[in-house]
Amino acid sequence: MAAEPAMKLIDLKKDIGKKQIIKGLTFDINPGEVFGFLGPNGAGKTTTIRMMVGLMKISEGDVVIKGSSIKSNYKDAIRHVGAIVENPEMYPFMSGWKNLLHYARMMSGITEERIKEVVSLVGLEKAIHEKAGRYSLGMRQRLGIAQALLHRPSVLILDEPTNGLDPHGIREIRQYIRSLAEKENVAVIVSSHLLSEIEMMCDRIGIIKNGELVAIETVKGLTKTDEDLIHIEAVPLDRANELLRQTLQLEPTVEEENIKLTVKREEIPSIVKCLVEGQVDVFGVQVQRSTLEDKFLDVIGENAIE
Amino acid sequence: MSNFFKLVYNEQVKLYARKSTWIMFGILAAIILGVAILGKTVGNVDEAQYGDDWRQQLEQENAEIAEGSSEEEVANHWGIQENNYYLDNDIKPLEYDAWQFVVENVMLSALLSLFTIIVAAGIIAHEFRWGTVKLLLIRPVARTKILFAKYASVLLFAFTSLVFLLVFSWITGAIFFGVNGANPLLVIQNQNEYTQIAAWAEMGRSYGLQLINLVMMATFAFMISSIFRNSGLAIGFAIFLMMAGNSIIGFFMQYDWAKYILFANTNLEQYFRGTPLIEGMTLSFSIGVLIVYYVIFMVLSWLFFTKRDVAGH
Ligand SMILES: Nc1ncnc2c1ncn2[C@@H]1O[C@H](COP(=O)(O)OP(=O)(O)O)[C@@H](O)[C@H]1O
Ligand SMILES: [Mg+2]
Repeated sequence: MAAEPAMKLIDLKKDIGKKQIIKGLTFDINPGEVFGFLGPNGAGKTTTIRMMVGLMKISEGDVVIKGSSIKSNYKDAIRHVGAIVENPEMYPFMSGWKNLLHYARMMSGITEERIKEVVSLVGLEKAIHEKAGRYSLGMRQRLGIAQALLHRPSVLILDEPTNGLDPHGIREIRQYIRSLAEKENVAVIVSSHLLSEIEMMCDRIGIIKNGELVAIETVKGLTKTDEDLIHIEAVPLDRANELLRQTLQLEPTVEEENIKLTVKREEIPSIVKCLVEGQVDVFGVQVQRSTLEDKFLDVIGENAIE
Repeated sequence: MSNFFKLVYNEQVKLYARKSTWIMFGILAAIILGVAILGKTVGNVDEAQYGDDWRQQLEQENAEIAEGSSEEEVANHWGIQENNYYLDNDIKPLEYDAWQFVVENVMLSALLSLFTIIVAAGIIAHEFRWGTVKLLLIRPVARTKILFAKYASVLLFAFTSLVFLLVFSWITGAIFFGVNGANPLLVIQNQNEYTQIAAWAEMGRSYGLQLINLVMMATFAFMISSIFRNSGLAIGFAIFLMMAGNSIIGFFMQYDWAKYILFANTNLEQYFRGTPLIEGMTLSFSIGVLIVYYVIFMVLSWLFFTKRDVAGH
């Protein structure tokens, strides 16, 4: 992408006491992109987000938002950011509407029309005059998103927005996030510890483990073309290998009693057909997890709590 | 509205959106009413009605008191002294009224200190407890400005409640006891002597001095709230010190440095009525000490609020 990144993390580090919690994160988030910030609990997602919004001091490195450093030019940087950090906590003794008014007063140029607009965007019109203390977690997530959107930020940061939501709620959040990115060119950062909950709303996913970025993957290839790793149990094995190479121009590998190859899902039937027609007995076809999920599960397995 | 006033307004909205704040005003109103009812029914406030022959009435009162008392007792009896002051200065005693009720209710400012401490203790700590601090501090507003808006809001509360105490006392007093004019001269005791002072002047002086005490305690609680981010601790600490203040001074009285203890200086009344707590203390000394404490409280509040991370629990 040619456009200037909406947010840049430059070798971002955080030490708490003697321990380094964040160990040098570097990545960019572009306008109009939904970036998934994925990692197991305790990986350092919230700590990173706290530094992005200036709640925690940066030990080393920097966060640059639309050209302004959060360290040296806090007000100009934060002006472009809307965020929820951890749980969307609101003043429980005030209505949702009064909560929004409260934040609106802290920024310039937010009209009552704009407040109504964000309320309807997150679908809270009915409950907006009820006390926030009576809201369900899902409603509080929506109110949290509403307050983050009041000032039309260029960067929206949502820390675990799918926490506590049912699949229907997650689908709704996915819809607003996609439309904010696509229609309003907002750069959205969504953290989660569950790949399945954010995979479908993200353009790119960065995986963090023990304070380090272990992978950044573009999601597009995965969800659209969906290359899966498949294992085929067939006899005789060498004949099957030969058939796939010659007839279908594939490049399988042979491992123990199996043939392994990476193909699109829709190619599987023709592979099976080719083998059967070539007099090979097929005992089973097993589809493995996608590569991103693979990586993520590996990471989770290794995320030792130090 | 300018930016800063919007922040103060926000703090006031949050303060008055909570029931506990209204309960404080309710308690204050109930106590004022209670004091008035007690005064009216069982108290000694209304004991005498003085007519045109008030001089004879006072003489007679003195004679009644003197009967059966020794000469020394008579000389030291406050009732006789007071009556003599009226007689010597040819002042007709006023009936107890709203103005005197207001002046006496300055003692309720101890309760205001308590309420202001509660408010000051919570105004930062609650944001941390509720988790709302994370949304409060990610706005294009400097933390320093937010801190001072919160502090201004505490002072505004202290001032509002003091005005409430004054006005509600006056109205209650007017209903129960009546009003002797717009600004009557009150006779008050000052260092074993009686003097006459205008009601407004006396009110301004005594309530004004209480306001200083109120501000010091509030600033102290505010600082604890900022440092520890815990309102219970701030309330406990501040109330303990408020209550124990006098014992603390008593305990260290023999040391020379006792005069630098905050509580030796918060009661400026000592320079107007009565004698200074420790010999050698003067009004300007106390004001100096209070200013030093005040600056320390504010600087610590500021350092902890602006420099420290807002981290998870
Ligand atoms: N205030 C703190 N003091 C010490 N360690 C902390 C503090 N906050 C977070 N941590 C540690 O930092 C690591 C990352 O935490 P966090 O950023 O909350 O992870 P995540 O949001 O990815 O679950 C954890 O190991 C946690 O124990
Ligand atoms: Mg977290």
